[in-house]
Amino acid sequence: MTVAATNRFGSPADLEQAREEIRRRTRPAARSVRVCIGTGCAAKGSRRLYDLFRQAAHEAGGGLIAVEAVKCVGCHGLCERGPIVVVQPGDVLYQQVEEPDVPEVFRETVVGGRVVERLLYQDPATKARARTAAEIPFYKAQQRIVLAHNGEIDPRSIDDYIAFGGYSALAKALSAMTPEQVLEEVEKSGLRGRGGGGFPTGRKWRSCREAHGQPKYVICNGDEGDPGAFMDRSVMEGNPHSVIEGMIIGAYAIGSSQGYIYVRNEYPLAVEHLREAIGQARERGLLGRDILGSGFDFDIRINRGGGAFVCGESTALMASLEGRPGEPRAKYVHTVEHGLWDKPTNLNNVETWANVPAIINRGGDWLASIGTAKSKGTKVFSLVGNVVNTGLIEVPMGITLRQIIFGIGGGVEDGKAFKAVQTGGPSGGCIPARFLDTPVDFDELTRLGSMMGSGGMIVMDEDTCMVNVARYFLNFLREESCGKCTPCREGLAQMLHVLDRITHGKGEAGDVERLEEMADLLAGTALCALGKTAANPVLSTVRHFRDEYDAHIVDRRCPAKECRGLFRYAIEAEKCKACGICKKNCPADAITGAKKVAHVIDQAKCTLCGTCFDKCPFDAILKV
Amino acid sequence: MPTVTIDGKCVDVPRDATILDAAREAAIWIPTLCYHPALAPQAMCRLCMVELDRGDWKQLVTACNYPVRRDIVVSTTSDAAVRARQGVMRLLLARAPESQPLLALARRMGVEGTPYPTVSQTQRDCILCGLCTSICAEVIGRAAIGFCGRGQTRAVSAPFRQPSEVCIGCGACAVVCPVGTIRLRFHEDTNEIEISPFKTRVKLQPCESCGGRVAPVPVVEEVFRKGKIDVEKFRGLVRLCPACRRKRAAADAAKAVVCEAGPMYRTAVGEPARRGGAAPGDVAGPACPAVGDAPAAGAARGRSSARRKTRAPRRR
Ligand SMILES: Cc1cc2nc3c(=O)[nH]c(=O)nc-3n(C[C@H](O)[C@H](O)[C@H](O)COP(=O)(O)O)c2cc1C
Ligand code: SF4
Ligand code: FES
Repeated sequence: MTVAATNRFGSPADLEQAREEIRRRTRPAARSVRVCIGTGCAAKGSRRLYDLFRQAAHEAGGGLIAVEAVKCVGCHGLCERGPIVVVQPGDVLYQQVEEPDVPEVFRETVVGGRVVERLLYQDPATKARARTAAEIPFYKAQQRIVLAHNGEIDPRSIDDYIAFGGYSALAKALSAMTPEQVLEEVEKSGLRGRGGGGFPTGRKWRSCREAHGQPKYVICNGDEGDPGAFMDRSVMEGNPHSVIEGMIIGAYAIGSSQGYIYVRNEYPLAVEHLREAIGQARERGLLGRDILGSGFDFDIRINRGGGAFVCGESTALMASLEGRPGEPRAKYVHTVEHGLWDKPTNLNNVETWANVPAIINRGGDWLASIGTAKSKGTKVFSLVGNVVNTGLIEVPMGITLRQIIFGIGGGVEDGKAFKAVQTGGPSGGCIPARFLDTPVDFDELTRLGSMMGSGGMIVMDEDTCMVNVARYFLNFLREESCGKCTPCREGLAQMLHVLDRITHGKGEAGDVERLEEMADLLAGTALCALGKTAANPVLSTVRHFRDEYDAHIVDRRCPAKECRGLFRYAIEAEKCKACGICKKNCPADAITGAKKVAHVIDQAKCTLCGTCFDKCPFDAILKV
Repeated sequence: MPTVTIDGKCVDVPRDATILDAAREAAIWIPTLCYHPALAPQAMCRLCMVELDRGDWKQLVTACNYPVRRDIVVSTTSDAAVRARQGVMRLLLARAPESQPLLALARRMGVEGTPYPTVSQTQRDCILCGLCTSICAEVIGRAAIGFCGRGQTRAVSAPFRQPSEVCIGCGACAVVCPVGTIRLRFHEDTNEIEISPFKTRVKLQPCESCGGRVAPVPVVEEVFRKGKIDVEKFRGLVRLCPACRRKRAAADAAKAVVCEAGPMYRTAVGEPARRGGAAPGDVAGPACPAVGDAPAAGAARGRSSARRKTRAPRRR
């Protein structure tokens, strides 16, 4: 909670003094409750839990636990198990907490220091219960820089951020470093953009610093349009000040006095937390004129985007910021020279900005010591799909796909076999099992025909048809194409036409080559990176799963039995209880059978509609 | 001035000229669709792809908007460049397989038809080159039409796909349209011009002298507003059809001659009639022999010659 908000920091010393004060005031929190109010947990009612815990603390009279010690925090990453509540003493992590659990947790753990076993995380494989986050395999292999304080600090309290060392990097940069030194530190760190392209951040900053023209702008890209991705959202929601601090430092290095944060409108909580944070930072003199008495001026405005995927592209984003339709333009002249309103503009992703304070505090060499030769530091991924533990993870570059999927993710759901992992968002690619030991970094993923992208990671099991996966992503991109340029608009429609034909069993000889030819055309001629990379899902699946394409086209068969019409249904006699449900529901009257006699499907009559498969209560219908 | 080596020919162009400028300087043809010298290049059609040789790697770029900032080497005939241009053309042909102007351009590029089926719906063969929307916004200053929809459903229209409320009916869009999607229709019954397919209708100004068509009313107003020429004589001229305007000019010229010729002749050609209160918009007094044509015939002849005159500079 913000206390004594009026003090404006006139100097770094003021900030340090305030930090001491806040720490002194809040340190003896022997008992505390941290309720996650990230979008995932909030959707499961965590705000109500927060209210109930506060009420309980209030009723307990304050002697035992201060009402302030019940706080909301940002996303812990384990969203699937939410709502998450972490209790001191003991740092006990409770998952899937519901309203009726509150009195018990309060009585047992907060007051009594005992653990409520049934709310602890249970390993699906070993059935072992974990008391703290550190004991959960999901967290063990993670290394958190960007997400370090997500789940610890109250995103709506600048005091909390300051107590955890917030704005010390800014103070250091402004008081002890020249812009050039800041730049050098970022260059030394080897940090590369986390928004997709992986462009060296230091080099981008320097180009913008050296570009002619005033004013200069810095922008934070919080558009995050990849389906299923929520890395940036969690950072903006859970630790908005880290993004703001990074931006101020960047603006200082580049020589900009105005920044923008472009957030999609579907992220209301991120907008709310950012807005509050900006207000608090202004109040404290961390934004606005003469920041920390250094003479440096900088302020930030928030813009809400309509949520088109292409608006995440740098030039489209800037057009949208200017109030024009969010369509890309040619980048033969870079945005660091002619960007927003034709002025030098530096755009970075949320996660990129959030890395900056740590680099300044701990030095570029420190970040450069983490990761691989050309990819430094950590990367946040949203791990989703057919994996046991879905959620948000932050891992050092160079960790293998196997460590992520099987170590952190707990392997494939329902004991099925792993087939592929899709990385890089919609225009990324699918990586098959034989590359599971590949270290994850920008260049390795690109080498495998995929990419780092902004950090989506979708695990697919053996029942996934890779042709259908390619079709899904291609269709997503077709729908999100702005339609400005011919190859993307018409080419994606043509490619989808061919993929549709293949997945419907009407593929023709030469279709794969046709797809490859169109992919080549798109890569060479599309206007923006959406179109240039849009064929990746097709290319990577053709490269690694060519046999599945051939099975569809030549044998008219879907090996994963996902494409309707390209496999048959049969009844497993041993499992069939002759209940007659399938027979009653079959719209084609293709099923015969009598009481106590296993039923049979007449393949000649079967229209492959799949009704029996959905209706059978005994799982006796097989796809063959 | 940087030097562009294009297909082996060297040309010097000013910094920030485009590869297309250089190509034209070198008399090398590169097909274009969405480029127009009067408009900022949008590079939407992607038909003008050429290959830039960067020494250790090659890159396809659009000629119409790639700015020349240093010495560069460009090929319009490399395999990759030709394949890219032809590929884009085939995609466009899939969109508008019947379009004769497009087919003609395709043939010139060595493309005979397209292997692709038609999967996008179009509005009368529109290829979405954007020249119409650009000219309306940049040159006319109206932005009456723009793009609506996204991706495959993209189309050109006035807001909400309704007739435009700000269109002045100037027809510039129809003039720049390379495939004849936009057409002007005259509605004799209501004396309106329609910009089709946008369904916008605009009233035509009748000639104050003969009643024939002058121009759409808002165009006349726009001419006053933009021209900022507040001379009554000019106002009068603008309200006339081209034929009557010629007649008026001729009459004025004749009058000037008469004035010089002396007072005697002046009375003979009807100076008193003019003084007798002819309206300023009136073409000429009935007694003026120099312009004594029948109005209808004059109007018809005048119109055709005016058209010839406006078209000539465009062809250049
Ligand atoms: C179609 C498309 C969508 C993009 N979406 C995003 C996005 O949602 N968030 C993001 O940070 N970058 C996105 N990018 C990448 C940005 O264009 C840009 O490279 C990035 O924000 C630069 O920041 P960085 O250097 O910190 O990565 C997208 C790019 C393309 C082509
Ligand atoms: S590549 Fe696609 S998204 Fe990018 S400008 Fe062209 S049509 Fe729009
Ligand atoms: S003419 Fe260059 S892209 Fe259209």
